[in-house]
Amino acid sequence: MDDRWAEDLHRLWQAADEAVDVMVLADDLYDVLLRLPGVRVVVGTRWDGASRGRYLRALTAGDAAPTLELLAHGPYDGTPRRPAASAEVREHAVAELRGSAWPEAGALGAAGVSQALTCTFRLGDGEWSALTLGTGDFPERKLLEARLRQVSEIVAACGRRIAERGLAERLRAADALLAEASLQMDASLDVEETVQRVARIAVPAVAVGCLVHLYRDRELQCVAAVHVAARSQRGTAELGRSDPWLARLIARAVRSPQGLRLNAGELGGGPFSAAGDAGEVGDVGDVGAVTVDALRARGRVLGTITFLYGRPEPRMPEALFLGDLAKRAALALDNAMLYEQRRQHVLSLQRHLLPAELPHVQGLDLGASYEVGDPMLDVGGDFYDVVPRDGGAALVIGDVCGRGAEAAALTGLARHTLRTLLEDGAPPGTALSRLNAALRRERTSRFVTGAIACLDPDGGEGMLLRTASAGHPPPLLLRADGAVEQVRAGGLLLGVVDEPRYTVAEDRLRPGDTAVFFTDGLTESRARDGSFFEGLLPGRLAGLRGLGAARVAEELAHQAVDFRASGADDIALLVARVRGADEGADRGAAEGTDGSGGGGEGCG
Amino acid sequence: MTGERQGTAVAGGLILVVEDSEEDTEAIERALSRSHPEVALEFASGTEGVLARLLDPAAPRPGLVLLDLNMPGRDGHSLLADIRARGELADVTVVVFTSSTAPAEVEACYAAGADSYVYKPVNFDLFRTVLKGAVDYWQQQGGH
Repeated sequence: MDDRWAEDLHRLWQAADEAVDVMVLADDLYDVLLRLPGVRVVVGTRWDGASRGRYLRALTAGDAAPTLELLAHGPYDGTPRRPAASAEVREHAVAELRGSAWPEAGALGAAGVSQALTCTFRLGDGEWSALTLGTGDFPERKLLEARLRQVSEIVAACGRRIAERGLAERLRAADALLAEASLQMDASLDVEETVQRVARIAVPAVAVGCLVHLYRDRELQCVAAVHVAARSQRGTAELGRSDPWLARLIARAVRSPQGLRLNAGELGGGPFSAAGDAGEVGDVGDVGAVTVDALRARGRVLGTITFLYGRPEPRMPEALFLGDLAKRAALALDNAMLYEQRRQHVLSLQRHLLPAELPHVQGLDLGASYEVGDPMLDVGGDFYDVVPRDGGAALVIGDVCGRGAEAAALTGLARHTLRTLLEDGAPPGTALSRLNAALRRERTSRFVTGAIACLDPDGGEGMLLRTASAGHPPPLLLRADGAVEQVRAGGLLLGVVDEPRYTVAEDRLRPGDTAVFFTDGLTESRARDGSFFEGLLPGRLAGLRGLGAARVAEELAHQAVDFRASGADDIALLVARVRGADEGADRGAAEGTDGSGGGGEGCG
Repeated sequence: MTGERQGTAVAGGLILVVEDSEEDTEAIERALSRSHPEVALEFASGTEGVLARLLDPAAPRPGLVLLDLNMPGRDGHSLLADIRARGELADVTVVVFTSSTAPAEVEACYAAGADSYVYKPVNFDLFRTVLKGAVDYWQQQGGH
């Protein structure tokens, strides 16, 4: 072996050790081969795992730069030349090299050579390559063959090392996909959106298409269909929705303890059975393999996740990986479903703790609103009620500290105790004292605040407001002229001492005046800068002058929700406005502006 | 304006990457130079000048445009609309490559004529896998 050749090999080995792709070796490699005796052209081809040509590179003696030709779109099929485990060297007459297996023929012919010495070798990961030396004759055939083989072995070793690293990278990518899928699933608790997000990140990382079916009303329905190509999106959705073959397949997957894996040969009778034929379901592109895994969580099947793999080289991930992905997706979905169910329960229970609708009370326009802070935090303890009494009404608002079942039970107790007492004609202070006694008997550990206001005709056009409060935020009065006043009622929280005293504040309301009762969720709504909505409340309320009671209640609640950056406390509001004589005092005229109507037109 | 970072000139094998983030640009170059060494890459750090570049008859026509959506100035949505408004660019495959998986965003891009909508993951191994999957797919379709 001459020194130059030894140096060349050493340099190539070093480069091969660091290369991120075998193509990095090409410049040096072709120069080295072109210096071999008699060689006039060097042609390299690279083939994928399905023996489809990727590219061709050729360098002819005397040319400054190589030519590079992409073979991916050509008809090239290298199957007849696919190498066995070890590198093979063969000699060919260029004139005999024809057909789709020999893209080198053109470059060899153009260089005017008659003989070709070709070494084919595996690169790893299914790929392979061919290095061809073109010459008029081979004066030193054995030497050329040996050296071509030596160089090819360097490229093959380089390719295998890169492929091994690629395998490790794919495993890491699979882990990362599972991690990212978990993150995406946490980003939304909406079931269908969660499913669509998971399907989206899996394409094209896992496969070219992904379908998710979930049980809805005991039937599997397609809730997500994703394809890497926009043009196949609709076909994929149709496939998921209405293809009978796929429907049978996913029904089988639901019953199967393991995921289903169907290769090209097992797609018979389905929409993908004919190669390149989109079948009956529209354009879903070429599909060469299908996998279906059941989505199982907490012992039940929620649905299935189906992957479509492209042709001609469907690379299916490990079954373990698909199973893991299905498991994680199922758990996230189950959480989202449980959340939705729980949210509905909370909202429903909350509704039962509040009056279904406010009563009609002569001379009063009543309105209320309830904003649930965060349904996930469970049932809140705010409550309100209106009890009609002779010629007027008793208004109740209260707040049981805390959330959850115990708070809900106490809320029910407080509201219904007060309602019974007020229906029996108890004055506000007495009603609060009696509730306090009931709470003391129950030995409740929770604090309760509340305010009761009785509104009775004052003998003229207005009404008398008598308010007793037990540690509750003072109600506000919005006068017809826009002035805002605080009701001066105050007393101890309920359930703390045995015999608290509740004083009663008296205020006179004129037609157009409005009394606003609320819970601390309103005043304690807090902006990002730390300020509370309480400071803005009088000004905001003044701005609602002239509006009906229902609008005032809704507006204040919405403004507080918009204002707050933190805090997810519930907000309850109860509003009573004294009607003017021209609004009509009869029940029929009051219907248009009652609490359930939400309208405020015609006021003032 | 656009600038070429890698000089392997291959007719029909050019990808134009429109991406304002230096980090993502570097990651795309690293990923594609390994998975598709035969493909030449050209980079644009914003949408400005990209349409003119695509229409320039003297410059090689990229078969595929890899488009980030969120960029300062005219964003990726506007460029996508511009490209799809030009009939002569109908054969250019546009792959939106973005960090959002919001279904509404996907719908908007498909409606605007994107050929693919591909999620851009944070993890580099997955990033490479996703890019390889997208480019492999369009190569096999003969789309670029």
